[in-house]
Amino acid sequence: MDFSIIIDGLYTALQPINLMWLVIGAILGTIVGILPGLGPATGIAVLIPLTFGMEPISALILMAAIYYGALFGGSRSSILINTPGDGSSIAATFDGYPMTKKGQAGQAMSIAAIASLIGGVMAIFGFIFLAIPLAQFALNFGPAEYVMLFIFALSAVVALSMGNIAKGFLTMFIGLGISTIGVDLQSGVHRFTLDVPHLTDGIDFIVIIIGIYALGEVLYNMFNINKAKKPDQNIGSKWFTKEQWKKSLAPILRSGPIGFFLGILPGSGGTISSLLAYSTQKQIAKNKEEYGKGAVEGLVAPESANSSAAVGSMIPMLTMAIPGSGATAVMLGALIMIGIQPGPLLFENSPDLVWTLINSMFIGNIILVIINIAMVGMLVKVLHTPPKVLYPLVLVLSFLGAYTLGYSTVDFYILILAGVLGLLLRVLNYPVVPLILALIVGNDMEQNFMRATVIYDGPVSILFASPITIGLALLTILSLSYPLIIKLLGRRKKKDHPMTM
Amino acid sequence: MWKPVLISLPILLLVACNSSASSEGTEFPTERMELIAPASPGGGWDMTARSVHRAMTSDDIITQDFNVENMPGGGGEVGWQYLQRQDAHSTSVNSSLLLTNNLLGQSDLSYEDFTPIVMLLTEWIAWATATNADVQDADELITQLQDDPESLIFGLSPALGSGYHLSMSQIAMLSGVEPRDLQVLVYDSGGEAMNALLGGHIDILVNSMSVLSSQYEAGEIDIHAVTSPERLEMFPDVPTWQELGVDIEFPHWRGVMGPPDMSEEEIAQYDEWFGEMAESEQWQRDLESNMFFDFYMDSAETKDFLEEQNELFNDIIESVGLMP
Repeated sequence: MDFSIIIDGLYTALQPINLMWLVIGAILGTIVGILPGLGPATGIAVLIPLTFGMEPISALILMAAIYYGALFGGSRSSILINTPGDGSSIAATFDGYPMTKKGQAGQAMSIAAIASLIGGVMAIFGFIFLAIPLAQFALNFGPAEYVMLFIFALSAVVALSMGNIAKGFLTMFIGLGISTIGVDLQSGVHRFTLDVPHLTDGIDFIVIIIGIYALGEVLYNMFNINKAKKPDQNIGSKWFTKEQWKKSLAPILRSGPIGFFLGILPGSGGTISSLLAYSTQKQIAKNKEEYGKGAVEGLVAPESANSSAAVGSMIPMLTMAIPGSGATAVMLGALIMIGIQPGPLLFENSPDLVWTLINSMFIGNIILVIINIAMVGMLVKVLHTPPKVLYPLVLVLSFLGAYTLGYSTVDFYILILAGVLGLLLRVLNYPVVPLILALIVGNDMEQNFMRATVIYDGPVSILFASPITIGLALLTILSLSYPLIIKLLGRRKKKDHPMTM
Repeated sequence: MWKPVLISLPILLLVACNSSASSEGTEFPTERMELIAPASPGGGWDMTARSVHRAMTSDDIITQDFNVENMPGGGGEVGWQYLQRQDAHSTSVNSSLLLTNNLLGQSDLSYEDFTPIVMLLTEWIAWATATNADVQDADELITQLQDDPESLIFGLSPALGSGYHLSMSQIAMLSGVEPRDLQVLVYDSGGEAMNALLGGHIDILVNSMSVLSSQYEAGEIDIHAVTSPERLEMFPDVPTWQELGVDIEFPHWRGVMGPPDMSEEEIAQYDEWFGEMAESEQWQRDLESNMFFDFYMDSAETKDFLEEQNELFNDIIESVGLMP
């Protein structure tokens, strides 16, 4: 590799004007990430007119910073008030919110930011050395491989609901059911659209997420709003302890590559990578019973993964002009308008641009950690806000967020229905995550299954379509039978060492 | 939370200024203007709308406050239903979906419910195969399809009944292949379909030149034949279908239309604006960088063109058996 070009890139990235856009992008990204529904795609789209007058490289730096910045910000509301703003920050509620309840909100937020930083930096190294070969490998994922990947992701998440797998399957099927609403691409048939044009594109899963979590949380607490005692007024130290750091390092390093690779696959993105990172972490952990009760490992694993996935998902966009997510699709369009043509020739024709971007991502990640840790003190004030003030605010933000997603009031009704559903699931103690993941991947899984039936002869040949599908099938079986294996092992252990239990 | 605030602030200010400034009454425009992109940010409609916006405002062709509004949903249906209820200050980007949604029975809105304003640009559609598939030319593909129409898998986007689907069906019909026998996989976007072609999951990708060009230049795919009447300057090696003896000319056009019942003065005003814009350097540059092709027609020509297209699409849809 030619090092002078890397140094040139660093100089360009450090130019005051580019540094300024980087900081602006990082701040905007963090804000956009914190607010429910207002994801990076919308954030970038709103800024497109602003980029017209800019140098192409500055525009690219700004848009990329908003994108990965949103991932830093996304976990804040998950940790503080148990309401994730989009799919990729759901996993941060599992152990992040329990940490807040234990009075460790400050520590949770600062270590989550560090996890995002390390995940992001790992992905940038991956970008430097592996971008082109990995983008090539990702092409092997065809209909059969995607079907198996989604089945694996679903099974891993269902297996997370240890103890009540049946309930997990049930909510998964509800999610798959909701995902069938809309036009079926392969046949052009309108399904359950009730002649409402807004429904032909299906239901936006982010509306459901906001409904189930934010509205559900508000409804759940409404019954006892007057006597609601704050979980713990003590917000804890802003800095995590040495012990927490020791526990976190391995999960962070393990989850980064998982997120990076899943990010490169178009359509899989942040949600799957953070959920799979969490389930992998939990399955290999020794202290399983602590997960879901505020284990720091369970917070840092998904945070590292989704930050890494954001960088990863820029690879197919830049190297093949194939966007893997809503945000990268908007970026691709904006780049073409300002005169950059992403594609296989980008790395050959404008290496200066690519290296400046990579350097700016390095600097951007560091700036983001500083911003996010500096904001901890301000954000924890949310916990001191009385519910009577906080919950109406959450409601307003939820409805605003739902509206900006589709610019339609139909989403308000869906939001309310989802809120009631969230309340029911919570009261009846059903796991929510299988439903949401099924909703996110359901349509893609079905479409790919339909495509696979055209390409292959039958279901069995889909299973054996390639080494990838066989591998994913084995992983699926493993993750589903995992709780069973644990039980068996546990029993044997009990027999062997009756004293340890 | 910031978006609505940021957008509405300048609007409020401008509305306040305008109401005091223009007291005459009969003039047009008198208030804020909007161009609807009936889709999410990032797609072809959105890009067209934003390019129009940029060309109109950067050269000060339209001095009135002028915004792009995204109204996604239902293949244009949501935005167009909204447009129907507006006055001449609102316009929307359209495409062949305006005609096919209605012909396929998916929408009650017809092109006759709106006022044609301008035809802006077109993309030309081509068939591509992966380079390593080692296909010589389009003739080879057609011969293979004539022998066994199910032997090749087509990929297209974003829906059955789209321009890509209709054009490939027409080509099949003209070559004596039953379109209903063809194996078609539908993808959400051209990018996804390209992914499938490069990964060897489909055999033929039917899409526009703008989607195909970067992989073509990199030597990853071959482009076999294009639906334009003449060879494209940018792709001198790609023959037209007409050269190959298939009598088809199929533009994948985009234009702009207004709400019903616009006055002649209002239409004339838009003709003037768009006529000037079509000549502007900014617009021509945008066309080139997006690999769109100039397809300018004024409001009268656009009206005739839409009628022609509607008839053609109706014929194809009937013979392909896509009719509801």
